[in-house]
Amino acid sequence: MASLSATSLSFKAPSIQSTRISQSISFGRFQSSKSLRLQISCAAKPETVQKVSDIVKEQLALSADTALTAESKFSALGADSLDTVEIVMALEEKFNISVEEADAQNITTIQEAADLIEDLVQKKPAA
Amino acid sequence: MAAPFTLRKIGVPPNSANLTEARRRVFDFFRAACRSLPTVMDIYNLQDVVAPSQLRFAISAQIRNNAHVTDPKALPLISVSLVIDLLLFKGMEELTDIVDHAKQRHHIIGQYVVGEGLVQNTGSKDQGKSDFLKNFYTSNYV
Repeated sequence: MASLSATSLSFKAPSIQSTRISQSISFGRFQSSKSLRLQISCAAKPETVQKVSDIVKEQLALSADTALTAESKFSALGADSLDTVEIVMALEEKFNISVEEADAQNITTIQEAADLIEDLVQKKPAA
Repeated sequence: MAAPFTLRKIGVPPNSANLTEARRRVFDFFRAACRSLPTVMDIYNLQDVVAPSQLRFAISAQIRNNAHVTDPKALPLISVSLVIDLLLFKGMEELTDIVDHAKQRHHIIGQYVVGEGLVQNTGSKDQGKSDFLKNFYTSNYV
């Protein structure tokens, strides 16, 4: 439970800050801060990607110094399809989300997994 | 918290038409098992004994144990997807028993937590047997 509140706090903080900024600055600067917010929500946050990489490393029993970029494919790291499903389940447990089967089929790289997680966490009704 | 997962008791579903559908069923079963893990840990008080990731690994190891069931030539009279269906049925039965608290804590710990579980389940079938035994059913003179 403690870890759940920590993750939800870390996701909420940036958006609260940006809304405060957009309310306090003048109309001329409003556009740029709005586009900045859009940029943050499109790409997955680096900390999410890092957490996903940690889970993948642990699941596939990779050594700690294996270079894991966001674009690494699971199959390239030696995961078969059952491993991929297991990784998705581990992510479900860690981030407290529920991944549908259709979404799970499309996950092949770490970046896609992180994007999907961000998507689902934002869609989840705020507890 | 994500919505609590309940194991729906479907009757025996019709046989899978091909390997792809059997594959999909295997993954669905694995997902159902993983989603029931919080309930299981709660029922049998396994919080201090094992982590959910270890149980997930145990489940996937059991599935992998039967991963060799893909060669149609090895099973001339039965289709491969039927065999997979049967294995899934047994797996589903086991999962339902566990979730219904029809088992006891020492069963779970002995079968899924400690080492490789019951002795007769160690190792997948047909691996490590000699060539003589492997060809025993095919012919005497290979």
